[in-house]
Amino acid sequence: MIEISNVGKRFGNFTALDGIDLKIPTGELVALLGPSGCGKTTLLRIIAGMETPDAGKIRFAGEDATRLHARERRVGFVFQHYALFRHMSVFENVAFGLRVKPRKERPTDAEIRRRVFDLLKLIQLEWLADRYPSQLSGGQRQRIALARALAVEPKVLLLDEPFGALDTKVRKELRRWLRRLHDEVHISSVFVTHDQEEALEVADRVVVMNRGRIEQIGTPDEVYSNPASPFVYQFLGNVNVFRDRVQGRWASVANETLDEAENGAENAETNPVAFVRPHDIEIEASVVEGAFESTVKDVHTIGPIVRVELVHETELIEAELTRERANALSLSRGQTVWFKPRQIKIFNVPGNALEEGGSGI
Amino acid sequence: MNGAIEKANAEPRWLRALLLFLGLGFLFFFLFVPLVAVFVEAFRSGWNAYADALGDRETLHAIKLTIIIAFVVLPVNVVLGVAASWAIAKFDFRGKGLLVTLIDLPFAVSPVVVGLVFLLIFGMQGLLGPWLEARGIKVVFALPGMILVTLFITFPFIARELIPLMLSQGADDEEAAISLGASGVQMFFRVTLPKIRWGLLYGVILANARAMGEFGAVSVVSGHIRGETNTLPLHVEILYNEYNAVAAFASASILALLALVTLAAKMLVEWRMRRENEALDAGFLPEGGISFPSRP
Repeated sequence: MIEISNVGKRFGNFTALDGIDLKIPTGELVALLGPSGCGKTTLLRIIAGMETPDAGKIRFAGEDATRLHARERRVGFVFQHYALFRHMSVFENVAFGLRVKPRKERPTDAEIRRRVFDLLKLIQLEWLADRYPSQLSGGQRQRIALARALAVEPKVLLLDEPFGALDTKVRKELRRWLRRLHDEVHISSVFVTHDQEEALEVADRVVVMNRGRIEQIGTPDEVYSNPASPFVYQFLGNVNVFRDRVQGRWASVANETLDEAENGAENAETNPVAFVRPHDIEIEASVVEGAFESTVKDVHTIGPIVRVELVHETELIEAELTRERANALSLSRGQTVWFKPRQIKIFNVPGNALEEGGSGI
Repeated sequence: MNGAIEKANAEPRWLRALLLFLGLGFLFFFLFVPLVAVFVEAFRSGWNAYADALGDRETLHAIKLTIIIAFVVLPVNVVLGVAASWAIAKFDFRGKGLLVTLIDLPFAVSPVVVGLVFLLIFGMQGLLGPWLEARGIKVVFALPGMILVTLFITFPFIARELIPLMLSQGADDEEAAISLGASGVQMFFRVTLPKIRWGLLYGVILANARAMGEFGAVSVVSGHIRGETNTLPLHVEILYNEYNAVAAFASASILALLALVTLAAKMLVEWRMRRENEALDAGFLPEGGISFPSRP
């Protein structure tokens, strides 16, 4: 169990982290998710001991580790750009952590050999033992970097954008592989990513960060289907944002959630804003009760889904349909259709809070 | 050449020919001809005269002195250069910009001025001179002074080579080594040094060439004591001023030979560095990377 309490860090005038509280239970795979500059990498480096926090405490299994040197933390760190020692073979890279142990703790050569090959077998790359890093593909390098980190039997594995330098296909393979590996070794792991899909697919628990603060902690399903803040809503997937519409015609659609919004609306500075995911919008070719009339502006087919841009009065709305549904509707530009949100979430938001991050419209 | 297909952005043929002619012509007359002239002059009176000139007691002493200075200066500069580069590349501290500028100071100051400054500090009329004299330590007009000015003059070569290299390599490898439990010393010798070895060697080669060839600063602090404080370049000047052309050019030919060896070694190291950088480009550097400050 790693406990992070009230950790803060500033770089000059920039507040990288502000009052971070986080518990990482033993054996869990946790994702730190957020846009660049949100402090996620700084937090990871503080856990690793590569940065010192200005305030707060880090505890490893109840013991204060805030001032402990990175060398003594027993932390495995995996870098975005692998950081393999390029003048050493794959075998020597993985053996490094064992070879630099003080003489009385250092395993014998035979023992080192056995452990390195066990790890290489675990990552299914034992046939690469004699190669040098420059002869490997990106995905292979990252797996070697992982084996190297595991060789010293760390208490926690930290991964900084581990798949960030890989191309999309390898990235997807490798993150599934990481999930399977984690299920096998069950070591507490924290990985940093800005890719929401990656976080949702791989992690047991997702920590969404923004501007040096934690916005929400939850299972992938919780943070996706029940975002705690407008930021989380916008950051996790596409979303349609409707301002100043809650009192108007949207209210009828959003009746259930509106009550909840009004409870929090004591502050006059805020106004309720409705969020609807593109795939939560239904499109009908004819008038339906509670639906809004709109014009099809554009239709893009992206693989299995069809993205439709609708214009309702002056507002642009994005909807996502399955290919089958789009075919059945046979949508074309300029066509008049009716749309209806299946699910709406309403937040009270200060005037400027929606500008940063996310992919709102 | 072979063909009607001219690149659209190519220069006109006559301009290319002109530039090539100017460039190669300059190289020929200003570098190649003098180099050949040194050897021609040295062997003007035959092989025996050449061998005699080099076998001269004072010439041998000058060679010995030059080698001693290089032998002392290079290890010290390796340590200082690596330390300075390390500090600049891996840490952020107040006054870093000033330190980077100061490292280039020896390149900016005329060597004669450097010599004079050392005279002012260590000479009899200088700051530390009387104090040192009272303890029987002779710095100026002796080997220690010559070593000190050579240290000063050659300091930038290694640091200038290593700083951009270390900056471009970043600190990921070092952090990885530390998180794997390596001590600072283990990290340096097992991870950092192998990464910078070719850059370091390159700097050492250049520093060595300068240490052996330095004239101005060493000339001022040496006192020109024959058979005692004359390095090879100083010896060449003395012989030449005495109209002993054969001996002067014979000694000069050794320096010219050193230059050729230096160039060859430099090419070899550059080739090795390029090969490692290609391995680096194959996926070791962050996209975009860090731009290299230009060499002096």
